[in-house]
Amino acid sequence: MMSERNIVQKKICMLGTFAVGKTSLVRRFVQSIYSDKYHTTVGVKIDKKLLDLDETQKMMMMLWDVEGAEQAHELRKSYLRGASGYLLVADGTRKETLYKALEIQARAQETLGLVPYIFLINKSDLIEEWDIEERELEALVEKGWHVIRTSAKSGVGVEEAFTALARKMMEMPK
Amino acid sequence: MAEPRSQDVLEEGVHLGSASEDAETAELRSLLLGPAEGRIAEIHERLTDPHRQLTEISQVLPDAIAVRTRQDDELAQALGPTVTTAIERSVRKNPQPLIDAIFPVIGPAIRRAISVALSGMVQSLNQSMAYSFSVQGLKWRIEAWRTGKPFAEVVLLHTLLYRVEQVFLIHRETGLLLQQVVAGGAAVQDADMVSGMLTAIQDFVHDSFNAPEEERLETMEVGELTVWIEQGPLAIIAAVIRGTAPQELRPIFQEALETIHLQFRPQLMDFSGDASVFDATRPLLEDCLQTQLDQDKQGSAPARIPRTLLVIAALIVAALLVWGFFAWRDARRWNSYVERVKREPGVVVTETGERDGKYFIGGLRDPLARDPAAFLAEANVDPEDVVASFEPFQAMSPEFVLRRAQRLLETPQTVNLKFTNGVLEAEGFATLQWITEMRRVVRFVPGVTQFKDDNLIDVDRIVNPSLLFEPNQIELAPGQEEKFRQLTADIERLQKLAESMKKNVRLEITGRADGSGSEERNSELSRGRAERIAAELNARLPSKSNLTIAPVSTREKLREELTEADRAANRSVTFKIILTDAR
Repeated sequence: MMSERNIVQKKICMLGTFAVGKTSLVRRFVQSIYSDKYHTTVGVKIDKKLLDLDETQKMMMMLWDVEGAEQAHELRKSYLRGASGYLLVADGTRKETLYKALEIQARAQETLGLVPYIFLINKSDLIEEWDIEERELEALVEKGWHVIRTSAKSGVGVEEAFTALARKMMEMPK
Repeated sequence: MAEPRSQDVLEEGVHLGSASEDAETAELRSLLLGPAEGRIAEIHERLTDPHRQLTEISQVLPDAIAVRTRQDDELAQALGPTVTTAIERSVRKNPQPLIDAIFPVIGPAIRRAISVALSGMVQSLNQSMAYSFSVQGLKWRIEAWRTGKPFAEVVLLHTLLYRVEQVFLIHRETGLLLQQVVAGGAAVQDADMVSGMLTAIQDFVHDSFNAPEEERLETMEVGELTVWIEQGPLAIIAAVIRGTAPQELRPIFQEALETIHLQFRPQLMDFSGDASVFDATRPLLEDCLQTQLDQDKQGSAPARIPRTLLVIAALIVAALLVWGFFAWRDARRWNSYVERVKREPGVVVTETGERDGKYFIGGLRDPLARDPAAFLAEANVDPEDVVASFEPFQAMSPEFVLRRAQRLLETPQTVNLKFTNGVLEAEGFATLQWITEMRRVVRFVPGVTQFKDDNLIDVDRIVNPSLLFEPNQIELAPGQEEKFRQLTADIERLQKLAESMKKNVRLEITGRADGSGSEERNSELSRGRAERIAAELNARLPSKSNLTIAPVSTREKLREELTEADRAANRSVTFKIILTDAR
C-alpha cells in the first residue's frame, strides 16, 4: 500500500445523529476488520476503502464512522481533526435528523474549515414514509450543498456518494 | 518610539524659517546655494520620510547589533525584559509553535539529564548487588568483566526479553499511516486501519480524562503485546512490542521521531494524503525494530528457576559426576584386565567392547593356557559384567609345545622335559614301558621336530638289575661283573639327577632266596645277599652324600619256581627307589 505510487490517503468522517444509517452505509461500501461494538466503546470505528478515481489515481479512504451524537456539541473534535472531507447523513423518514445534521455540519465546519462534504439523505427505499419536504432540500442545493439520496438497504447512491466526495477532495487545493 | 517627535521638531524648524522669509531672501539663497539646494532637499526628505528611515535602519541594524554586542552586553541587558515578555505573550497566546520549535532540542536535553541520574542509580544498584552471590550472578559477573559493561547493565539485559515487531509512523492530525516497518515473521494486521484506530483510541483516552494537551496515552498492553506510542507535534510513532520492553528502548523511538520531525517537517505540515514521500523514513524506523535474542532467554531462565529445581539440578549433576567417576573407573579396570589377558601366553584377544550393558572379550585360547576369567578378580572386574568367548587353538610357542608334550606323554615326575628350537629332550628315569610309549607318541606332538633321550634312564635296570647269585651262597655268580658295573653307573646317574632335582635318594635293597633249603637258611641268604650288594655299592659309589642304602629281606618269590631258571631268578636282589626332598 505504502510503496505503491499514485495512492493518496484521505481521512473522511461519517457524521450524523443516531440511527440515520451511517454504519450501514459504510458496511455497504467497505470490508471491515473492526466490529460495530467500537462505536459504543471508543465512539468511532475506522474502516477503509480503496477507490479507483481514474487509471493513474487511486484513493485510500480512511472512514471514521463517528458515533451518532444527540447534540452537535457532543461531537468529539479530536475525531474530526485532520479530515479532508465528510459525509453528513440524515434519515429521510425523520425530519428532525435533517435539523440535527445542519447543526452537526456547522460544528464540523467550525473545526475543519471549508472541506468538501456531501449530504446524504438515507433510507430512500422507504419512500412512502418520507418525512422531508422536497423544497427544504432544494433550499440547501441552492446554498451550494451537494445532496444525494441513498439507500443503505438497496445500495442506491452509496458508491456515487463516496466517489463524489473523493473527486471533490481531489479538486481541493493543497 | 522617538522618531515622530524629532520629525515634528525638524518640520517645525523648517516652517518657522520659511514663514519669516520673503521672496528676496529666497532669491538670495538660491544664488548663494545654487546647485546645493537640490541635495539639501534630498537630505531633508531622507530625514523626514519615515518609510525611508525604516529601510535605512533595517540595512544597518544587524551589523549595528553585531558591533554593539562585540563592545559590551548592554544591548542584551536592554533587550532581555522585552524578549522575555514577547515569549510569555507568545506562549500565552498559542504554545504550540514554541513546543514545535523546541521539540527536537528538548528531547535530547531531558534524556541526557535522565541518563546522568540513571547512571548514578545503576552505580548504587551495582554496589548493592556486588556482594550478592549466586551461580547466575557469577556468570553475569564474568560476562560483565568480559564485555566491559557495568554489572547492573548485564543483569538488566538478561532479565529482559522482547521484540519490537511493528513500527508505525502516523500523521498526527489525520491519523493516516505514513510508513510502516515489520520485523521478519511478525503478523501484520491491516496497518491503515490499525493506525487510524490507534489515533482514535489515543484521542478517546485523552478526551475522556480531560488530560492536558501535551499528555497523551503512551502505553497499551494486551497480553504479552505492548504498544508504545511516542508523540511528536506532527507525527506519532507507535511500536508493537512482544515481551517485556526495557525503558532503554524509548530513547531509540524518541530519537527516530525527532529526526523525522527535523528532516520531514515541511512534508508533515503539508501532508495531503501522499505517503510516498515518507518512504525515506524507513531506515530510521527500521532502527526501532530491536530484538532481544533467545540466547539471553537462556541466560535469564535460571534466574527464575525455583530453589527446589536448582537442588534437583545439582543432585543430577552430582549423580552424573559420581556415575562418570564409576564409569571411568570401570573402564580403567576393564582396560587393565584386557591388557593382562593380552599378555597371557596361549591367549589371543581379537575383540573387546561393550554389548548389552556388559563387557565383551573374545579371541583364541590354547586349552593349556590359563583361563582369562582367572584374571578378573585381580583386575577388580565383576565376572557378572563380562561375557567372554574364546575359540580353542594350539599355540606354537615353545612353552606350549613343551606343556602339550608333557600332557600328551603323561610325563612322570621323575622325567624332566626340555624344549629348545624344535628339539624335545627328556632326562631323568622312567619305566621301560613309558620310555617305549614315549618314543612312539612323541612324533605326534605338534611342534616337536626332534627327540633326544640320552639322559633318560630306564628305571627297570635299577629296580631289577637281574644279578644272579650262586645257589646257597651270598656271592654273585661268576660273570655278573659287567651287570654290576652297569648298575653302579645307573645309580650314579640317578644320584646326579636327584641332585639336580634337589632330592635325596633312598635305595631299599631287597634280598631273595629260592624255594630250596630251610626257611631259616633262606632268610639268612636273603639278608646276606642284600647286605652284600649294599656293601659292594657303598664301596664302589664315589659319593654317597644324597644316598641312603637300606638292605632288607623278604620271603616272597619273584616268580613261581617251575624251572631251574625260575629258581635262579628268585636268587636275586631287587631295588626300591624312594625320592625324598633334600633338606
